[in-house]
Amino acid sequence: MGLTSESDAKEAMKLCMFDLRRGQTEGQELDKILFFYPADLPITNQLSVIGLSEGLITFTRIFSPDAPCEVIEAEKHCHVFYEVEADIWMVMVVEKENPESIWRVDALRSVLKEIHSLFVMFHGYIRALVDKEPSGGLVRSHLYYFIMDFLSDFSIGKKLQLPNFRDSLKEQGTLQMLTVGREAAIEVQSLVTLLESCVGNKQCYSMTMFQDLLVSTNLSPIDTLNLFTYAVLRLTPIALFRGASAWSSLRKTDTACSTYAGALQVTSISAIDQYYNSHDPPSLRRHNYPLVRPLQHSKWSKGKDGFLTTDIWGTEVNSLLPMCPTIWLHLTEEKMFLLAYQHRGLTVILLVPVSSVSGDQGISMLKQQIIENASLKMLKVEEKLSRGWGGENAYHVSGYRYLLVDGDRYVSRASPPGKVTTLTKESLVALSKLREEVDLEKARAKWDNSGREKDIEICIRAKNNSWLIARLVRGKELYMVLEKGSETLLFAADATEKFSERYCNGAFSLD
Amino acid sequence: MQLLASPEPSLSLSPSGDAVAPTPLASASRSIACAASGSSVPVAWWVSRCCPKETFGAPSLMVALVIFRVEDSNAKDVVEERVCYYKPVTPFWCCFVIGYLSSELVVQAAGCTSCAPSLFVNLLHTSLLYCGCTRRIATIDGSGRREQAIHLMKDKNYATTSLLKRILLNCSAQAKQYGSCVSARVPEVEKDMCLKEFIVLKNCMQNVLRGKGDNLKNVNLHNMTGESSSSALSYSSGSNALSHVYIQYPPLRCHVPASRSLFYDDGNKLILALTPNQVFSWKTATYNPYAAPSSDQISEGPVLSIRYSLDLKLLAIQRSSHEIQIWNKDTGDTFSQKCRPESESILGFFWTDCPTCDIVFVKTSGLDLYTYGTESRNLQLVQTKKQSISWYIYTHESRLVLLASGMQCKSFTGFQLSSAGIIRLPKFEMVMAKPEANSNPILAAEDVHIITVYGRLYCLQFDKVAMLLRLYRFYRDAVVQQGSLPVYSDRIAVSVVDNVLLVHQAEAKVVIVYDIYADSKVPISAPLPLCLRGYSRASVASFHTSTKTSGASESKNLSATEETIYGDQWQFLVPDLVLDVSNGSLWKISLDLEASLGISASSSEVQLILEFLQRRKLDAEKAKQLSLAIVRTIILERKPVPMVARAMDVLLAAYSQAIKTGSYNKRSITEEISPSNAPNAAVGETITGTDVSRSINQEPKSVTQKDSSNRSIVATSESDGSIEKTETGDLLEPGLLGGEDLPAGTSQTHGPTNNQLNSSATQRKQSAVTSSAATSPADFYSHVFSPIVEEMMGDGSYLTAIIAEFLRSCSLEKLKVYPNTYVLLVQILARDERYAELELFIMNKIIEHSKEVALQLLDSGRQNQQIRKLGQDILRQLSLHHDYVLLLVQDGYYLEALRYARKNKVTTVRPSLFLEAAYVSKDPQHLAAVLRFFSDFIPGFKSSPDHNTYHRFVAELNSSVTG
Repeated sequence: MGLTSESDAKEAMKLCMFDLRRGQTEGQELDKILFFYPADLPITNQLSVIGLSEGLITFTRIFSPDAPCEVIEAEKHCHVFYEVEADIWMVMVVEKENPESIWRVDALRSVLKEIHSLFVMFHGYIRALVDKEPSGGLVRSHLYYFIMDFLSDFSIGKKLQLPNFRDSLKEQGTLQMLTVGREAAIEVQSLVTLLESCVGNKQCYSMTMFQDLLVSTNLSPIDTLNLFTYAVLRLTPIALFRGASAWSSLRKTDTACSTYAGALQVTSISAIDQYYNSHDPPSLRRHNYPLVRPLQHSKWSKGKDGFLTTDIWGTEVNSLLPMCPTIWLHLTEEKMFLLAYQHRGLTVILLVPVSSVSGDQGISMLKQQIIENASLKMLKVEEKLSRGWGGENAYHVSGYRYLLVDGDRYVSRASPPGKVTTLTKESLVALSKLREEVDLEKARAKWDNSGREKDIEICIRAKNNSWLIARLVRGKELYMVLEKGSETLLFAADATEKFSERYCNGAFSLD
Repeated sequence: MQLLASPEPSLSLSPSGDAVAPTPLASASRSIACAASGSSVPVAWWVSRCCPKETFGAPSLMVALVIFRVEDSNAKDVVEERVCYYKPVTPFWCCFVIGYLSSELVVQAAGCTSCAPSLFVNLLHTSLLYCGCTRRIATIDGSGRREQAIHLMKDKNYATTSLLKRILLNCSAQAKQYGSCVSARVPEVEKDMCLKEFIVLKNCMQNVLRGKGDNLKNVNLHNMTGESSSSALSYSSGSNALSHVYIQYPPLRCHVPASRSLFYDDGNKLILALTPNQVFSWKTATYNPYAAPSSDQISEGPVLSIRYSLDLKLLAIQRSSHEIQIWNKDTGDTFSQKCRPESESILGFFWTDCPTCDIVFVKTSGLDLYTYGTESRNLQLVQTKKQSISWYIYTHESRLVLLASGMQCKSFTGFQLSSAGIIRLPKFEMVMAKPEANSNPILAAEDVHIITVYGRLYCLQFDKVAMLLRLYRFYRDAVVQQGSLPVYSDRIAVSVVDNVLLVHQAEAKVVIVYDIYADSKVPISAPLPLCLRGYSRASVASFHTSTKTSGASESKNLSATEETIYGDQWQFLVPDLVLDVSNGSLWKISLDLEASLGISASSSEVQLILEFLQRRKLDAEKAKQLSLAIVRTIILERKPVPMVARAMDVLLAAYSQAIKTGSYNKRSITEEISPSNAPNAAVGETITGTDVSRSINQEPKSVTQKDSSNRSIVATSESDGSIEKTETGDLLEPGLLGGEDLPAGTSQTHGPTNNQLNSSATQRKQSAVTSSAATSPADFYSHVFSPIVEEMMGDGSYLTAIIAEFLRSCSLEKLKVYPNTYVLLVQILARDERYAELELFIMNKIIEHSKEVALQLLDSGRQNQQIRKLGQDILRQLSLHHDYVLLLVQDGYYLEALRYARKNKVTTVRPSLFLEAAYVSKDPQHLAAVLRFFSDFIPGFKSSPDHNTYHRFVAELNSSVTG
């Protein structure tokens, strides 16, 4: 069908990952490339993108060895750089052609960060994979499926919709937390204890979520963030529902419409082949790698026992039971089994060290134990949480459109998306620019004096008479758009103050 | 000194050392042995009774082993069967065998090095208890390491420490050998196993003991004289090694020369001793062995029974079966009330505080209720309740008179004559088993006992044929049989101590202890003998010196007394007194909580044990300490979190209940034990469907009709913990219901008011200070968490989970948590570097915010900036402005601090601090701004030395910058 033939639509975004330590000799440049999107771009074009990027990195390293190159702003393109691991770079090239392509570089970079940290969670470090198989086939096929699956979440129609100005009241790479009362929190804690006692003496971790909000966890912040991101993408009730309905709705709609999944099927084979063609005979290789595609759509489902199941990790050799998913912990680099139990809005994810459980039999015993001992408590907790939950718009504050970020804890809270869409484009674009400025300022402050946090306060009156406010106090950030405000600055300050007192425990009110 | 020279003091070993049966257990097992062999209780019973499979645990096994050692071949099979059952827990079992077979600490300590360390504590407790050489489990904070345990004991200046330590040091090799020998053979239990090793060990220990005898003697002497007569004496008496119920020496001597007989006036709790023309009375409400009697003159003549009126102004004496004489103390008037001698005779009489009458005569033809007219100085008949009566029983405690009638005397009617009025109980029949087809046993008065437990009325009927003690509970309008207790003796007696039912098996000379609160008919612990505490020559000597007045006949009597425990002359008085009529001595029965529970303290029924402890009122302080010690122990032993959580739930629920009823803070003073501390759940259980249905079978009419009212009575006891129900009659009192669900026409209802009730309750409050065993969250901190924190160093996550569960319990009961608990939690989390969780705890307010917490966070936050920030935020949110500003300045955020200070008008922070911070930052502009700020806002600042100094600094900085 040729759904993504080059003629169809010029891909507005290019994404590549390359390893500077590879392909050092003339004629071997192709070996550098670990991943390239779109895969069907002619090799020469791919090489030119990477060549430019590498050149810039090498050049800027002369001046700033620690942080070489972050972004290139050209007339029609913008290159966002991110060094994911030592000498392994990701570069995203976006075109500035249509009016929608106004974005914050930091937001784009956080997409790159997310790709990498999720990848590491499932497959381990890229460098390790590269070293494991120097020819690069292993890492390439992993990366390929992983990133393509990842990008599919951004696809709208046949295009990729990257975070742009409309998402300026959102912060990628942060957790959204459920505010719970003390009693409920204690109840949750008690549930966590109970789960831990089910596992026994071994150290295990748990993460409790309600809808797509985090309730409690004892993971390290980075692991929390990764697991949370994954859960929101694939595990929460909403994600499960989305996964289930996406297929059906897509099928119903026009077949001619380029479904991304379909495109993937077509392109993937050709792309992989492409790599193999250029290096090795493809025949054997492809089946040697046990490919795990954790981000594949619609693969998770809720079992009868309440546990979420998937066959992403394959099935056991002598039975049809799906294998238990595993992930790597960032800090300890320990391999953990992932068990997810869901009861209505409540999702409890339990991570158990692989070393402590004897295979899938141990896992099913553990599941049994959890069902026996803890399911009642989970029921209770769910009830308690859903009673205290205000629904989708629980964190809406009327009159305000806001974003609160706690940079220390990777936590953010924002006006509900439905409310943000009521803002005019002008306000959003202006806010995006304001945030860009703040990002710059933050970066500068970081270089200037490490360890000390700078307090920033900005109030801007935009063209459409809306107030744009940014406040940074001691590592916490508050962005606000007030569209129906009066004219005076005093009003804006008052509004901020009020908000701070009522919703942030006065964290943003200094004077 | 008697103690150690005596053939078998509890801590020493039998010197006999005969080869067939080593008798290290002698002291411990002797009592059981005698009970087992010398009475009608078969040995097999002991094993099967004490070791039911479902509750099979260490203590019961121990009993089995003791018996086995005592060479009863019949028991062997049973024991082996049980042992097999116990196999899965072999390590523990093995420790226990080692520990107990030798009955000495030594072996335990040494032999258990191979066991799990946590078990050690367990064993130490047990053996200490059983050796009778400790009275405080709490002394051992249990570490799993014997050195530490010993160290702790030493800290508490524990008398026997040095001895134990010495034994441990000197005989550890031998002990270890014996221990490993035994453990190697487990589970094949044989007679005389490891005999050689054992004898070696025994000799070693004996040598040590002999060597240290003198020292120990001194210690003991000191204890006995110094510490009046408390349980420190426990091991001075040879026979008390195993006992949970004891009578304390000295008794109250109710002996006056020429006294003819002794009576007990239970309305006034007086012991009355009669001489031909005088009556001496001792108060027993406050049991004081040295109380002096008061006396009244009476006229001569026969006395069948004698009772003072409740206001003590009148004295009624039954002179014959037809005449009762009443003497007015104030006026000296005497008059007699007689009955028709041809048709009826007086069975007895009692005074009552019923509003409608003052005194009740029980006659063969029925009850006569009289009032005493103060003017007329005469008795006026108010009411007669016609009924033929064979015999009756009455206790003032219950205000209940039970009237027996019928051929077998097993038909009963009852009246409760309380201050709230008269309630008639429905007629009921007691169940009696028939020995043979044609003979019907006759129920005697001494076989029926009225007891009051937790404010409920029960009647115990001893069925001699079935060897059962049947239990009836009295509701307002129903009498429901509630199961039965087994009896192992032809002669039994019943007492109630602190709401615990003691069934004395007089012939077997043991006591079985029941707590019938939770409807379980399982004894709390194994049958053990009643022991006499505090009696030894040493104490006799001290007794002599302290009470010279009490005559010289004691020492002679004593030997007799000791021998006649459960003698024929013993009268058991309601609720917990024993009158030895032949010696004229009155003993008070006490319960040794520690001994009755200590053994099972670590068993699986922790929850039940704690509930039991929390219901104790008399020895509340000890019950409290024991409760806390139990919780501490199970935490130290890393018991599963849910189990610990349940234990804490029990304690905190009890505490919250105590707070609500006010019994915690008031240290309520009640004469009788009130059920105010009773947990609700358990009350609910007593009225389960089975009970009702069972009663339906027996008395279909009354129960089905009045089912609702039945329940309402229970509701009373459930809901109205707030009213001090010192009087059991209240239970039957509809007035408490607040008028709801009054059963129509069940009996004469007088519509009494709550006021009346309360006044009667307050009147009855006297003496006997009791307090609640409830454990407050602060107690938890100081007795449980804080002491164990260091020991649990390596297991922070477990401890965190425990504390989190504790917080859950607290929030469930809406109790305030002692702030230091939070501080502790912060410390633990920070120590384990679990910062993410700590943040979560703070954000969710699982850790409630307080200044203490904030300061701890700041302290712990030295390594972690985020944690420090959390601490700061809390300071700000709590409006602790001064601390907050100070912190900001210290961290170098002086400008922010300044702004904050101005906004919140903080003037307590010295300007020089700000200036100093600004100067350190080397920014002349900032320094100048700070300087300017103070110049503007603090009057007179310009002339201060600070101003000048920093003004100069500004200039310097400026020049250096420009330069």
